[in-house]
Amino acid sequence: MVTESPHVTSYDAELLDRAEALRADAELMDEYARRLRATADTLAGCPAAPEWSRPTLQRQAAACITAAEQLRAAAQALHTHAAAGD
Amino acid sequence: MRADGTAPGRPAPDGQDARDLLRGCAREVVDVAEGIRAVSARTSTTLFTPALTASARRRPRTGLPAQWALLRALTGKQGLGGSAVTAPKGVGHVLGAAGEVLGRESLAALVAVTSLRLRIAAVLVDHPEFVRDPGMRRLTEAVTTDKDLAAVRSLRALFRDQGAQRALSGLAPLMAELLAIRALLDEDPHNDETGWALATGRELSADPLHGVSAAHLAGLDQGEGAAEAVALTDQERQVIATKGSFLGFLRNIEMLSTNGRILLQNVRGPDGVVRYVLQAPGMAPGRPRTDSPQDFVGAWRNLFLPDSPYTRSILLALRDYGIPRGADLALIGHSEGGIAVMNLAQSEEFCRTYRVTHVVAVGSPVDNKKPADPRTWVASITNQHDIVPVLDGRGAGSAFDPHPNWYEVDYTGPTHEFPLSHMLHEYIEHLRTVVPEARERVDEALTPYRGPVVRTQAYQLKDRANPPEGYPFLTLPTTSLPTTAGPVDVPVRYYDSSAAHLCFPVDADAARALLPGVTWMTPSRLGRRALAVLSLYEHRCTTIGPYTEISLSVLVDDLWRPRPYDVALDLLRRVDLRRTGRYVVSLAVTSEEARAVAREIWGQPAVRVSAEADLTGRDLAVRSPELGLAVDGRLGPGARCPEADWILYGRRGESTIRTLVRAHGGLRLHSGGGIRLRLDTGAAEPLAGHLRRLGIATARPRLVLTCPQFMLHRSAGAVLPR
Repeated sequence: MVTESPHVTSYDAELLDRAEALRADAELMDEYARRLRATADTLAGCPAAPEWSRPTLQRQAAACITAAEQLRAAAQALHTHAAAGD
Repeated sequence: MRADGTAPGRPAPDGQDARDLLRGCAREVVDVAEGIRAVSARTSTTLFTPALTASARRRPRTGLPAQWALLRALTGKQGLGGSAVTAPKGVGHVLGAAGEVLGRESLAALVAVTSLRLRIAAVLVDHPEFVRDPGMRRLTEAVTTDKDLAAVRSLRALFRDQGAQRALSGLAPLMAELLAIRALLDEDPHNDETGWALATGRELSADPLHGVSAAHLAGLDQGEGAAEAVALTDQERQVIATKGSFLGFLRNIEMLSTNGRILLQNVRGPDGVVRYVLQAPGMAPGRPRTDSPQDFVGAWRNLFLPDSPYTRSILLALRDYGIPRGADLALIGHSEGGIAVMNLAQSEEFCRTYRVTHVVAVGSPVDNKKPADPRTWVASITNQHDIVPVLDGRGAGSAFDPHPNWYEVDYTGPTHEFPLSHMLHEYIEHLRTVVPEARERVDEALTPYRGPVVRTQAYQLKDRANPPEGYPFLTLPTTSLPTTAGPVDVPVRYYDSSAAHLCFPVDADAARALLPGVTWMTPSRLGRRALAVLSLYEHRCTTIGPYTEISLSVLVDDLWRPRPYDVALDLLRRVDLRRTGRYVVSLAVTSEEARAVAREIWGQPAVRVSAEADLTGRDLAVRSPELGLAVDGRLGPGARCPEADWILYGRRGESTIRTLVRAHGGLRLHSGGGIRLRLDTGAAEPLAGHLRRLGIATARPRLVLTCPQFMLHRSAGAVLPR
């Protein structure tokens, strides 16, 4: 006979919350990418800005976008796992 | 690219606007970095939450992909990065620490470093003079590289290099940024919080960088350090202030100089109450010392290590002086003395023992310290051009004021050059003429101490906690010799140097023609050729100050009984028994002190020029526009060699001067194929002329001996009767 853990339901609810939080964090990462690109554009108009600054910020913005995609994928996987239940 | 990372040919930045814009961007970027860090932390928490761990065990078909997706998000090189995994313990902690140790910085740390690099760029707008600084060159290489990881690697190498730390100490307005980058990038995850605090302007909660913690002070009974009551000289007794005043206390500190003494005084205040004043001098700027902890290296070390023999020694002196429990005590310190007295003031136990009414720190990095007794009145006086006070992390790029209740004066003094800008007599003069209102304000606060001095006692502090700099190799008996540039201690000691010796086979007759016109000095022959050596040195820390040296020498035989193969046989002998040596035919140095020592003590024909040298990596680069000389290229593979002690010969009048040089550091032998020597067509005598006469003006050396970091000492020249 298989016994059910009393925490399973609460665990799944927690995981669903965490999946939502991951999605919100993915949105945040998109926002960070936008802010880094805006900073790079601001620096483009400053002659004293170091040459490395724009490509570096663009690269880091791209990393934020990648991180956002990966967080969404993780959120989806977590949601699927939590929704599967027992 | 220029040293500040901007491209040549662009219009000069409009100072204020450019600086503000860069700082504004830096703030925006560090905000983003904090946000990314928080996202990483939340994602880590999700990955290691017991809910997921337990349910994944029960339902691995969906649980494992979820865990894998989270791990991928946290460790993806293109995403949040290698060490984005944060967890206080367990697998997560191991993963995060492994990421840091393997050099895979998290995206959050990289973005924070970008912010700091922008702050450095903002500081450089105001300080173009840093382009000439020896530490700046390496820092510039590190912060202007276009690849994040290359910048991280360069910065890590920079912060691991003791010599570079000394050079970087000249970059005071950047110190906050450098400390933060260092904390963020080093392999120690424990000081990451400090790095983030410095990067974001938060108050430091941990104390890994700054002096002795209160807990450490509480256990001082077993601590090292020593204090011995000593008498003042008659002359000192005459100049000691007889009445308490701010400038009087500072003049007392100046009188003590920086030989490891402090002063304790009883002062009867206007209300008739006897109070106590501790006066602590700072470090001796510019040169390392071996007799006390009060040198720049010591101050730097005290900022990074949780250990301060100076503070412990002061406690012993206070105990010996016999100050009654609960008595009023004012602490006045300059430079490292200011750090030490603030260390005391932030100890709860110390403040329970004595009532610390005032702390006045002049030219001290004390911003990150806080007295344990909130009633303590604190004043900090700093000259913006003094590099020492910003060692604690509040640099010119900082917009944070951690102590709104302190009386802080950060004025722009007329003295810009370090170490002059740090000298106490400069501060005293500035308090009289530049910021007299600051003197009046501190004097007003010190009113209870402005009465007749009724007792004075000096204490000699001793540092038993750390061996002297360069110990044991550079721990030598010394003698002071007069030169036109002032007295110089010999042997001259070099604490941190780099060298490359370029060896050229040359025509023996051409080499002979460069030697003095005496019959008994002949070039050593290797077959039918003689050997000329162009030695390039970057001396970053020496007892005669930092300088660059370029010397051309010729190997010569025994002055009395020249024999074939002397050179080969001498290599088997101890250096002090050698008879062959290198006769210095031409020498160029970049400081007046080095020129005077070379000419007057070693009998070498030194001239003073400007030169830049970078000999610390595989790419050698030495340039002296005045000599018209450039050496550059990349070293090929090398092999370890025994350490190279040698004898140098010079001439003074009709005598030959023999100088013994002993070196300690890893020497490597390379083929010279990748290194090229170039002379401008109009290059000036004498070095250029000698190189042309030897036929090596544009030659590649046959061999190159290099030593990227080593210590050496050069004895006083022995006068030979020939």
